[in-house]
Amino acid sequence: MLNIEIDGKVVEVEHGSTIIDAADQLGIAIPRFCYHKKLSVAANCRMCLVQVEKFNKPLPACATPVADGMKIFTRSKAAVEAQQSVMEFLLINHPLDCPICDQGGECDLQDIAMAYGAPASRYTEEKRVVINKNIGPLVATDMTRCIQCTRCVRFLKEVGGMMELGLINRGEHAEITAYVDKSVDSELSGNIIDLCPVGALTSKPFRYTARSWELVRRPSIAPHDGLGSQIEVHIKDGKVLRVLPREKETINECWLSDRDRFSYEGLNSPDRLKVPMIKHHGEWHETDWKTALEFAGGHLKEIVGTHGSDELGVLISPNSTMEEAHLATKFAHGLGSDNVDYRLRHTDFRHDGKRLGVIWMGCNIPDVQEMDRILVIGSNLRNEHPLLAQRIRRAVANGAELSVVNPLDDDPLIPIKHKAICSPNDMVNVLSQILKAVSGMERLSLCLPKSLSDLLEGVRVWDNSQAIALSLTGHGETMDLISPRSAVFLGNISQHHPRYTEIFSLAEAISSLCGATFGVLSAGANSVGANLVGAMPKAGGLNARTMLESPRKAYVLVNVEPELDCHNAALAKQAIEQAECVVALTAYKSEALEDATVLLPITPFTETSGTFMSMEGRVQSFTAVTKPLGEARPGWKVLRVLGNVAGLHGFEFDSSEEVKDEIFGGEKPSAVVWRTLNNNLRELIDVEIKVKLDSDLQRVGEIPQFQSDAIVRRSPPLQKTKQVTKAVLAGIHPEQLTKLGINEGEKILVKQGTGSAILEAKADIHVPHGCVRIPGAIAATASLGDLLGEIYIERIPATAPQEEVSA
Amino acid sequence: MINKIRELFSSFMLLELVKGMALTGRYFFARKITVQFPEERTPMSPRFRGLHALRRYPNGEERCIACKLCEAVCPALAITIESEQREDNTRRTTRYDIDLTKCIFCGFCEESCPVDSIVETRIFDYHGEKRGDLLYTKPMLLAVGDKYEAQIAADRATDAKYR
Amino acid sequence: MTATQTLVCLRTAGQADPASLETYLKLGGYAQLKRLVTEKVKATEIISQVKLSGLRGRGGAGFPTGLKWSFMPRYFDGTKYLVCNTDEGEPGTFKDRDIIRYNPHQLIEGMAIAAYTLGARVGYNYIHGEIWQDYEIFEAALDEARQAGYLGENLFGTGFSFDLHAVHGYGAYICGEETALIESIEGKKGQPRFKPPFPASYGVFGKPTNVNNTESYTSIPWIMEHGGQAFQELGVANSGGTKIFSISGHVEKPGNYEVNMGISFAELLALAGGVWKGRQLKAVIPGGPSTAVLPASAIIGATMDYDGLSKAGSSLGAGSMIVMDETTCMVKALKRLSYFFFEESCGQCTPCREGTGWLYRVIKRIVDGQGRMEDLDLLTDVSSNISGRTICALGDAAATPVLSFIKHFRPEFEYYIQHGRSMVEDGVAVEEVAYA
Repeated sequence: MLNIEIDGKVVEVEHGSTIIDAADQLGIAIPRFCYHKKLSVAANCRMCLVQVEKFNKPLPACATPVADGMKIFTRSKAAVEAQQSVMEFLLINHPLDCPICDQGGECDLQDIAMAYGAPASRYTEEKRVVINKNIGPLVATDMTRCIQCTRCVRFLKEVGGMMELGLINRGEHAEITAYVDKSVDSELSGNIIDLCPVGALTSKPFRYTARSWELVRRPSIAPHDGLGSQIEVHIKDGKVLRVLPREKETINECWLSDRDRFSYEGLNSPDRLKVPMIKHHGEWHETDWKTALEFAGGHLKEIVGTHGSDELGVLISPNSTMEEAHLATKFAHGLGSDNVDYRLRHTDFRHDGKRLGVIWMGCNIPDVQEMDRILVIGSNLRNEHPLLAQRIRRAVANGAELSVVNPLDDDPLIPIKHKAICSPNDMVNVLSQILKAVSGMERLSLCLPKSLSDLLEGVRVWDNSQAIALSLTGHGETMDLISPRSAVFLGNISQHHPRYTEIFSLAEAISSLCGATFGVLSAGANSVGANLVGAMPKAGGLNARTMLESPRKAYVLVNVEPELDCHNAALAKQAIEQAECVVALTAYKSEALEDATVLLPITPFTETSGTFMSMEGRVQSFTAVTKPLGEARPGWKVLRVLGNVAGLHGFEFDSSEEVKDEIFGGEKPSAVVWRTLNNNLRELIDVEIKVKLDSDLQRVGEIPQFQSDAIVRRSPPLQKTKQVTKAVLAGIHPEQLTKLGINEGEKILVKQGTGSAILEAKADIHVPHGCVRIPGAIAATASLGDLLGEIYIERIPATAPQEEVSA
Repeated sequence: MINKIRELFSSFMLLELVKGMALTGRYFFARKITVQFPEERTPMSPRFRGLHALRRYPNGEERCIACKLCEAVCPALAITIESEQREDNTRRTTRYDIDLTKCIFCGFCEESCPVDSIVETRIFDYHGEKRGDLLYTKPMLLAVGDKYEAQIAADRATDAKYR
Repeated sequence: MTATQTLVCLRTAGQADPASLETYLKLGGYAQLKRLVTEKVKATEIISQVKLSGLRGRGGAGFPTGLKWSFMPRYFDGTKYLVCNTDEGEPGTFKDRDIIRYNPHQLIEGMAIAAYTLGARVGYNYIHGEIWQDYEIFEAALDEARQAGYLGENLFGTGFSFDLHAVHGYGAYICGEETALIESIEGKKGQPRFKPPFPASYGVFGKPTNVNNTESYTSIPWIMEHGGQAFQELGVANSGGTKIFSISGHVEKPGNYEVNMGISFAELLALAGGVWKGRQLKAVIPGGPSTAVLPASAIIGATMDYDGLSKAGSSLGAGSMIVMDETTCMVKALKRLSYFFFEESCGQCTPCREGTGWLYRVIKRIVDGQGRMEDLDLLTDVSSNISGRTICALGDAAATPVLSFIKHFRPEFEYYIQHGRSMVEDGVAVEEVAYA
């Protein structure tokens, strides 16, 4: 520890810290533009110049490491002169267009100019003008305002993983620009808006709609992924106008993914359902709540009464709150049905009843960046968990080794040490090889159960599986770690996998052999919470898959758009079509719910109170930040009244807090969470190494980031991004294309089960042999089946009609 | 005794009346200071703060850039503005309302305006027949501006050297 | 007394085919490298000789070379690098190009000796992008040296290996700053790094790196041959050895002159043939545009060494002497210089990026006849605000000419502002103005 003195105040700081760290610690304000605590130091704005005793020149506080006994003056004559001169230089070429600048009112340059600048300018020459760049639909640019602090450049390079912006040209001609004709496509690009200390980078959707001082700021929780990012929703006149991150070091730090930041535009979508609707003779009619609820409750009761309670199925979105999931489950149980599930995109449920607890990510979020070895199985990290990917990126930058087993070779913008890219079906084989390699390591005794070790007998270990095993157990190129902090994570592709159970148990075995943390990176904002409230079949009821395979007579859908949110779009459509009664609690009218019977308008996360449980088991409650739109009502209230209408007991709740209390039995949530989170299996599950598939080809159907749920799908700015607007193609490895005799760009007929679609074939080297990459959760593929199912491809004769064929 | 006689004379000769009438007579022939409103009007300062107007540039483009400083500064919360990005990518208002029943005519809006768009004119004798008539909307304010632009511009020019 | 040149760095001058290995060997070239390497002379001994020689960095800063060498970490697990800075881009500076054009092998030998001393395995010579021909000559010399076994693996069978590569820039002045040069070698945009860390601990590819000027390296073989003391004795106290002065401007015989340190200005001017056309000397920039200009009265009695010039109010810089006669308009000269710094600022840090443009525009306005009296104070103030507040020395370099021109020739600027014309063009005599 070093003792230094700033403005006469003595402070003790750590070795290697800078003057600005020490000043921040003391609460002494030093003006800054280029310095940001999460980014590398550039020292180029020169605003933080301070006077240091024994130095004749002012020194930049952000880049000067402290030395013992240093005396620093931040408000001395020399320091103030230096700061004033830099402020003057910064302003000479900065346009004074604050009245039309969206940054006005929350601008660092404005604030610091007020505090450190001169009242008038001495500059009378012409000012610089810089041409604006179009860097995509999310970030608006006004490059003349740029002060070249390079925060955005450093963010995209260091946090985003790819240097999509850079400073070109020299001197006064220096400007920030993207690559020629390229936009900024990072999934974290919105953060450069927050980072920009001036109005050079502002939010495009928010542009010119409000001033910062008009907005009411209310805290909430991001509802799109399992991270549980804390957000601040900005509202004017009851309308959500933007979303910013709330700083939370242990969750989202000071960042926010684009999905969480820009999805709010979907809240104001014209698709929003404002009044309850009932379908009569194929026509939708608006109605009032009383009629709608009595109709829905009565209809469901009638079907249960005549056909038995087993004919009712309840599907809940993993992005619904815990309260909604709990009440929907309770409703089903009240009507005597055990057919409840939230795992809409899962296909393998063999481990139901064999788990010891609630599945979670196995560690806390900040632990990820402390790991030495990480194995990620079946995940497109950037797509699924943008901010978690960022933590892994940091871990790797700090020396960790990342290995992946994945059916897609997409670049996570993280240096991967070892990878096994194989077809989904082969993943089980690869994992068993890794397990065998790990169990064969000298240091690890062969402590596998006999059934499993017998199974591994016949497995031949490939080189890359061996390498992954070596890395995971701590062996390294230059040195071996005796006790590495390692982790094995299962991503969305694993969870949607038809052999998820086998992958799960092999991964669990691998991690327990090498002492690694084992976790599942759950897809939805509340997957873990829905698991905790028990929103799944308990006593042999039907699960999300069987509920669609053997269609029910009645369904209750909570926040679900069946064709887009379920594992098998075609199956979901058929099941809903044939059902006698479908009660859909939804925030949106949509094509996907055309076959429903009753639409009950519920509110999205901004208009309801509720609780999300993140994948690290953090229980976060939030309140409504704005009034419900139209007649829409919070989901928990609708379910509560639906319970009353159906004559069920135990639905007398007056607030969502009461529902939450019931979920946690009146205990402290963390106590319940602590007891229930457990990724271990009660008993072993049969693993088959090699399974022969009927088709030569298997679909790799990942869910595109900006299609993951109903709100995101309706956010116009996100739908304008390159990730979304590029055409839907069937990605096939070029060699496979040659083998199939298909030319790139040719239209092909893709068949799955009873459905089919015509897609353009694309050579994609990131897809392994025997696979076709066809994304799910989009209209173009809504006629197809399982996300990771077998698939057949046919060439289309030249005379065939070119429109989409649907079964 | 003398006083009594004086009183007697003055009351008989109607002296007080004559004095009073003299005063009346003097003013009767003096230059009149009353004006015949509304046919006649008193002189006004170029700084007079009356009815608001939104101005345009000579090329017809409205000046207002929706910076909302007037809305922020208004102590009576009489101004309501909504803004958007117009098709030509400029920042413009979609709504600019002044509730004249709230307005206290302090002139802060005019002071705060960076583009001299919102101004207070010399007009003070406007009226409304029902309450809503005094809620001036953007087209109404622009119309005021268009009609009195010459006067407004002349007033700003006169006052410019003191600003 | 007429001064003569002492040829240390330009040893091959006057020889037929001066750049060839043959010529250099004839003059005793590479003997010192061979001796030091084969006799396994200790690094500390070599460094103490260099310290004794009083050799100071010839690139402009004048940092003692021996001291710099002693900063290189002795024990380091990994590659250390040696970098030669031949990126001379300042107007009026043309000494290094003549070294690599006429005497490349002495530079190669000097670098190899430095590499041996500092334990560097790989060296780079960063050559200015606008002297392409010289770059090719140096590449050819490298080939010759490699063929002859003076570069490469296991030299003279001693196990010492040194590879030297020529790297050319694209003409950016800023790449002459050592950390920007390192960035450029790494393939990045040439922008100075914040120091500390200095290149000796974090240089090329993050490894310890020693950066010296071409002339500094080229002096090394001579020092090794004749000893540090002999080199020191060529010059004067605190400024050992010889110095190449690149003399340009209004002289009869502009060119490079290698002379002993401490030579008087008058002698040096005489060597270059004196002021041309018999005109009067008006001013001299003694060390290149980044050093302060001196009026004739101030320089005429000065000696050309580090201390002598600093006493006169300027500095030796890179020895790029620009001589200006009585017909020179100082306002226009300053406009030219400030344009150079405006154009060459890298744009990384604020004072230099914004300030150099401001200076240039104001001076240009004065030249265009739109000047105001208060502009002179503004120029002085803006220059002082740039100076000392930037990442690298370019900010100081840009401020120096403005400050010194206005300091010494203020009446000329005032005349220009008042009349909108140059005093020189108006024929107002120089003597009529009392220079400060």
